[in-house]
Amino acid sequence: MSLLRSRLTQGAAAAAVLALTVGLSACGAAGEEQTEGPTRQFTADNGTVEIPQNPKRVVATGYAVPSLIEADAPLVGVSSWERGEPMMSDEDLTTYKELPQVAGETAAETNYDAIAEQNPDLIVIGVPKPIFAEIDAERLESIAPVVAVGPDVPSAWREVSRKQADAAGALERFDEVKSEYDAKAEKLKNKYADALSGLKLAHVGGYGEVENGNFQREFDGSWGTNIAGDIGAKYYGEVEEKGKGSRAVSEYPSLEELPSAMREADAITYTVNADGSVPQSVEYVMDSNLWKNLPAVKKDMTFPIKYTEAATYGQAQQTLDALDETFAPLLNK
Amino acid sequence: MTSAPPATPPTVRTARPAALAVGLLALLAAGVASVAVGARAVPVGEMWGAVADFDPLNGDHLVVRDIRLPRTVLGIAVGAALAVGGALIQTLSRNPLAEPGILGVTHGAGFALTVGAALGLAGSAVSQLGLGVAGSVLATALVYAVGRHSTLRLLLAGVAFSAVLMGVSLGIRLTSPDTLDKYRFWAVGSLAGREQADLTVPLVAIGVAFVGALVIARSLNAVALGETVAHTLGANVARVRTVTLVLITVLAGAATAVAGPILFVGLIVPHLLRRLTSGSVPWLVGLSAVVGPILMLVADTIARVLLHTGEVPVAIVTAFLGGPMLIWVVRRYGAGSL
Repeated sequence: MSLLRSRLTQGAAAAAVLALTVGLSACGAAGEEQTEGPTRQFTADNGTVEIPQNPKRVVATGYAVPSLIEADAPLVGVSSWERGEPMMSDEDLTTYKELPQVAGETAAETNYDAIAEQNPDLIVIGVPKPIFAEIDAERLESIAPVVAVGPDVPSAWREVSRKQADAAGALERFDEVKSEYDAKAEKLKNKYADALSGLKLAHVGGYGEVENGNFQREFDGSWGTNIAGDIGAKYYGEVEEKGKGSRAVSEYPSLEELPSAMREADAITYTVNADGSVPQSVEYVMDSNLWKNLPAVKKDMTFPIKYTEAATYGQAQQTLDALDETFAPLLNK
Repeated sequence: MTSAPPATPPTVRTARPAALAVGLLALLAAGVASVAVGARAVPVGEMWGAVADFDPLNGDHLVVRDIRLPRTVLGIAVGAALAVGGALIQTLSRNPLAEPGILGVTHGAGFALTVGAALGLAGSAVSQLGLGVAGSVLATALVYAVGRHSTLRLLLAGVAFSAVLMGVSLGIRLTSPDTLDKYRFWAVGSLAGREQADLTVPLVAIGVAFVGALVIARSLNAVALGETVAHTLGANVARVRTVTLVLITVLAGAATAVAGPILFVGLIVPHLLRRLTSGSVPWLVGLSAVVGPILMLVADTIARVLLHTGEVPVAIVTAFLGGPMLIWVVRRYGAGSL
C-alpha cells in the first residue's frame, strides 16, 4: 500500500532492483579487463573502494543519473530515470536520451548485455545505504569498481550529488553549477528576507495516500521544503514519531487532523507537478472543507511549488525560480 | 420426480424476524461507532450538533459531516451490495464458493482502470469510478455471452476471463510505473478518500438493484432447487438467471468501482446466514443487506484504529475477519453449511 510512498524510497527501490539484477546477471563477466591507470581510495556507503583516479567509462543508476549527467561525467550508460526528465535541461535531456539505457526503472527491464557492452571502469549506484545492502555487490564488482552513494534524508542530495561527482571525476562542472545555485539562493534570500521573516509555514506534500484518507505534511528538510529553506522559509513543527529517511522530516496524518496540523500556519505551500497541475493527493486535501476553513487559506496565503523532487543543483535552480514565482505576491503583502 | 420446497419450521419462522431486528440494532450501533471513531476526537455533543445544528466553521462538525457520515453511508451501501451480490450468485450457481467477483466484475474493473491510467484517463475520482463501472459491465457482458447456456459454463468463463484480464493488467502495470501508481489507489480496497467524490449514481444503482434483488428472490427460490424443479414450479429460469446476473453486475460493479476490490464480504455473509434463513432466498437477501453493512462498518472502524501510525485499508481487515469467520462456520456447522 505504501510501497512507493516516498520518492526517496521509490528511486531507491528501483535502483536497488536494477542493481541487484545487474549483479545477478553479471556473474559471467568476472575477470573482464579492468581499466588501467592510477587509482585512489574512495569512501562510499559500501566501504572504501579503489577506483580509477580519472574514470573514463562510468555507468550511473538511480539518483546518480541526473547528478552525473549534470556534472558532465564521462557516462557510457545510465538507468532509466523517468521522473527526473521534467527537471532536466534541454541539453541534459538530450544527453540522457542519447546515452545507452542499460536498464529501465525496474529489474524486469534490466539489459545486462547492454551494460557489458559499455565496459565501464566505474559503476556509481545512487541508492540509500539500506537498499544497497540488498545488492549482490560482489558480482557487480566483477564488472568494475562499484561505489554506492545514496541519500538518507531528502536534503542530503547536496552532499550525495557532490560525492557522486567526485567519484566520477566531475567536480569541476559540479562546483560551477553549485556556485550558480548558491548565488541564486542568496539573491532570493535577500529579496524575500522581510516577507518570510517570522512567517510560520506548513507544507502539503505530493505523496499523501488518498486510499488511506491521509495527507503528507512536510517539515524543514523534506523534499518539498528543503530548497525553500535555502531562501529563508521556515516550516514550523516536527514529525511526531521520527522514522528513517524521509519519514524523519515528513508524516502522514489523517485528513481529519488537517485543522490541528495547519491551524497555526501563516502560509501554506503545497507540491504541484512540473506542469503546474495539482497531484491527486493534494487535490484531495484542497477539495475538503477542512482545508477551506484553515486561516491561511482564508487569507489566500497558499503557494504552489513546482520541482520539489529536485536532487541536483541544476534542478534545484528551477525550484528556486518556481519559488520566486510563487512567493512574488508576498512582496506586496 | 419433483418435490415441493420443504416447509419452514416454526422456530425458524420466528427466528428470522428476531434476527432482522437484532441485525438492525447492531447496524445502528455499528453506524454510530463509525461516525464516532476516527483520528480526531469528536465529543458526542458535537457529533449530534453536526447533524442537528451544523456549523460550517466548526471543525468537529466538518469532520462528521464531510468525512465520517459519507464514509458510513458508503460502508453501508458497499457492504449491502457485496453481501446481496454474494447471496444471489451463490444461490444462482448453487456454488458455495462463488462470490460476486467470479463473473469477472472485479478484474474487469481493474483492467479498465489499468488501461485508463495508461492512457491518462484515470486522473480523477470520477473518471476512476466511470472506468470501474464500465469495466465491470463489459467484463460481465462478455462472460455472459460466452457462458449463458449453463451456470457451470458461466462460472468457468468468469474464472478464465478474470485470469486473462488479471494477466494483461499486470503486464501493463509492470511496464508503466505511473500506471501502477494510479492503480494502487484503487486496488487496495478502501472506504477512505472517497468521501469527496459524487457517489449519487452508484448509491442509487445499488439501491435500485437491492429492490430488484428482493423482487427476484422468490423466483430464485425455485431456481435454487434446480432447473428441472424450477421449470416444474413454473419459473422462467432463463429470465430469472439473466435478471439475477444483471443485478449482481450492478451491485458488485458499483461497489467495486467506488471502494475497490473487497473480498470475503460477498463470500462470508451468505454463509453466516444460510442456516438461519433455512433456504428462503428473500430472507437471505434481506438479512444479507443488514449483516453485510455491519461487517463492513466494523471492519472499517477497526481499520481506523488498528495501527497508531495510520489507517489500514478496510479490505485487509475484512480478509482478516472473513477468513476466520469462514473457518468457524465450517467447523460449527460442518461442510454441509457450504
